[in-house]
Amino acid sequence: MMAPFFKFGLFGDNLGLVVAFAVGIGMGFFLERAGFNSARKLAAQFYFTDMTVFKVMFTAIVTAMLGVYWLSVLGIMDLSMVYLTPTFLAPQIVGGLILGFGFVIGGYCPGTACVGIATGRIDALVLFFGIFAGIFGFGEVFPLVSGFYNATPMGQLTLPQVTGLPYGLLVFAVVLMALGGFYGAEWVEKKMAARKVEA
Amino acid sequence: MPSFLNNLSLNGRLALVAFALGFLALFAGTPYHGAEAVLNAKELSLVMATDADQVGVVTLADWIIQGKSDFRVVDLRPEAAYAAYHIPPAENISVAALGESTLQHNEKVILYAESGERAAQAWMLLKAKGYKGAYLLRGGVEAWKDSILFPRIPENPTPAQVVQFARTREVSRFFGGTPQALAGDSTSAVPAAPQLAMPALAMPASQAAGGGGAPKKKKKEGC
Repeated sequence: MMAPFFKFGLFGDNLGLVVAFAVGIGMGFFLERAGFNSARKLAAQFYFTDMTVFKVMFTAIVTAMLGVYWLSVLGIMDLSMVYLTPTFLAPQIVGGLILGFGFVIGGYCPGTACVGIATGRIDALVLFFGIFAGIFGFGEVFPLVSGFYNATPMGQLTLPQVTGLPYGLLVFAVVLMALGGFYGAEWVEKKMAARKVEA
Repeated sequence: MPSFLNNLSLNGRLALVAFALGFLALFAGTPYHGAEAVLNAKELSLVMATDADQVGVVTLADWIIQGKSDFRVVDLRPEAAYAAYHIPPAENISVAALGESTLQHNEKVILYAESGERAAQAWMLLKAKGYKGAYLLRGGVEAWKDSILFPRIPENPTPAQVVQFARTREVSRFFGGTPQALAGDSTSAVPAAPQLAMPALAMPASQAAGGGGAPKKKKKEGC
C-alpha cells in the first residue's frame, strides 16, 4: 500500500469525499483546540501579542514536511505523485495580501471561520457569507482580471528545484527555521506581555 | 542523559525529535525514487483501445498557436535530427535520460521519435513511472511534415474541404511550412508537389533557430 492513497486508486471519487470530510473534521477539531475559533486570538497574531497562529501553523508545516519526507525516503509514499499547486507569482502575491487584509480586518481566515461557526460565533458566520459574496463578485469580474489571474506562470515549483540544494539540507534548514521561530515567538510574547503590564 | 530528558517539557522533547529527524535528513538523500516502475495493465490497455494515449498533429499545432503552456513536447530523436528540424517547442531528451529529466508527473507530455515504436516505448516507460499525462504524437514527425508543414488538398475537394484547407494553409505558414497552392492560385495542383520537399525542409529549421526564444522561454516555465 502506497501513499497518496487516492492517486494509487485505493479509493475513488465517492469515498474520497468521505475521507476528505473526515480529514476536514479532524483539521477543524485541532484548529478549535488551538483556540482558532476566536477572532481576537487570531487577530492578536498580527499585533504580536499572541503568536499561537504562527506556532501552530509552523508546527503543522514541519510535522507534514518531516512526515512526507521520511515516508518517501522509506518508500511508503511516492512524493512525485503529490499534487503541487502551480506558481503564478504576481497574482499569488496580490491574492495573499488581499487575504491578509481580510484576515486582520475580519479576524478569521476561511478555515477558521468555519471553526468559529461550529462553535456558534456570529462574527464568523458574517465573515463566512462575506467570503461567498467575494467569491461571487470575483466570478462576475473574472473576465476583466483573467489576464492577471494567469500572469507570471512558473509551473509547479519546489524549493530543491529553485535553489538547487539537496532535499535533505532544505528539510534540515526548515526545521532549524521553525525551532528558531518558536524560540523567537516565545520571546516576542514575553516582551509584549511585559509591555502590556507597563502600560 | 535520561535526567536531562526528564527535565525537558513536552514541547522541548518534540523539538528534539524534529531536530533529530531534520538532522538525519541531511544524510538520507532524495525522497524521489526513480528506479522501479509499476505498470497498470488494465488502465494502459483501456487507454490504448480508446486512442486516448495520442494527440494529433493538428491539435498540437493549435495548442502551440494559441500559446498554451500546459504541455511539453519531447523530441526523443538523436541530437543531429533534432538540430536539423524539430517541432518548435520541443525539447530534446533521449529515452535513457527520461528518468532524470525535469518532466513532472502531472504534466502533459507529448512524445515523438524517429519511429512510432521508439516513441511508444518511451510512452510506456513514462506511464510505468507514473507520468499520468504522457501522450504520443500521432504519426510522429512525419505526420507533422505531411499535415502541418506540407499539407496537400484532397483531389476534387468539396467546398468544405477548400475552406478547411485555407485554414490549414494559415497553420502551415505559421510554422514556416509550404502548403500546396490552391486551385485558384495556380492553374494546376500537380506542379506544387515537386516544389515541396527541399526548400521547405530548410525553412522550418531556420525558423526553429530564429524563433528559438519561444521554446526556451517555454522550457523555463515548465520547470
